[in-house]
Amino acid sequence: MVISATRIDTLFGGACLVPPSRLAKMDMSTRPPLSPAEEDDEAALLARYAQGDAVAARRLTTALTPRLFGHALRVLGDHAEAEDVAQEAMLRLWRIAPAWRRGEAKVTTWLYRVVANLCTDRLRMRRSTRLDDIDEPADPAAHVEQGLQDAARADALQRALDALPHRQRQAVVLRHIDGLANPEIAVILDTGVEAVESLTARGKRALTQALIGQRDALGYDHDG
Amino acid sequence: MADVALEAMFQEARRTPAEVPARLMARVLADAEAVQPMAPRGEWRRWLGGLGGLQGLGGLITACCMGFWLGVAPPQGLPDLAGAMFGVQADQVDALDEDFDGGVLTAFGWDIEEG
Repeated sequence: MVISATRIDTLFGGACLVPPSRLAKMDMSTRPPLSPAEEDDEAALLARYAQGDAVAARRLTTALTPRLFGHALRVLGDHAEAEDVAQEAMLRLWRIAPAWRRGEAKVTTWLYRVVANLCTDRLRMRRSTRLDDIDEPADPAAHVEQGLQDAARADALQRALDALPHRQRQAVVLRHIDGLANPEIAVILDTGVEAVESLTARGKRALTQALIGQRDALGYDHDG
Repeated sequence: MADVALEAMFQEARRTPAEVPARLMARVLADAEAVQPMAPRGEWRRWLGGLGGLQGLGGLITACCMGFWLGVAPPQGLPDLAGAMFGVQADQVDALDEDFDGGVLTAFGWDIEEG
């Protein structure tokens, strides 16, 4: 069976359309976290999973779930929602496994795209239903006083990320935390490389503005 | 300076990935097991699958039996290939039985040939 964009669209209700031809055109040479050999491993493991190999399922779960969960958590800022998104993305991977054609798409790119679309759906729903349900940001100075400066910095970064428009947030997280290259991010976000560069630049500027007033409280005047 | 601080925060975020809840890993593995295709179970099952499974095999056996019977006793109007090959006609079987002292005519006329 051949994976076509139409086929995937049909399988997943159009929410996570992934044209393999576009994925195949990506330049993967600059993506730091995974080597081509590792990518091959993931596709090979997926093929083994499709043939009934339970060990392959465990290895894929261990290798991929933390990344997807981490990304979803950064973008959504909510543990429960991030868990649901990561589980749903992996479930879609399991279901598409028998029809997966190696060489046409990278497993991780396909998964990140599924996660990005699921996060976008949730952020849109949240924007329309939860405007009054946003927690007040905690005072970072309180953490510093308790000697939890690292936690305070992490919280501050997450709050600043949460305040970004969701496309900027996704682009910044994919680029600067997940460490993906701009061409791959462009495919994941279904946009052009220039648009990704613009999103990340604007996102970083907004983050800087959001954090600049907290530098003293976060200890950056002294150590960084 | 602000860029340096922001980059330091990114580095810290990369160094300390979120801890994945064990329940999430368990849920993902359970999903994987639930929807995983069955592994192939032996050569003969693959062979059977190639024939179309048990239904296909049943149809093949029925077709073989039918073909054999048509060879033994072809209906009128069909050429009697066995008869043409061995020089006897199906409607002569009773007479042949008498002639050959109770011998039985099979599809290939082996008894006749031997008798």
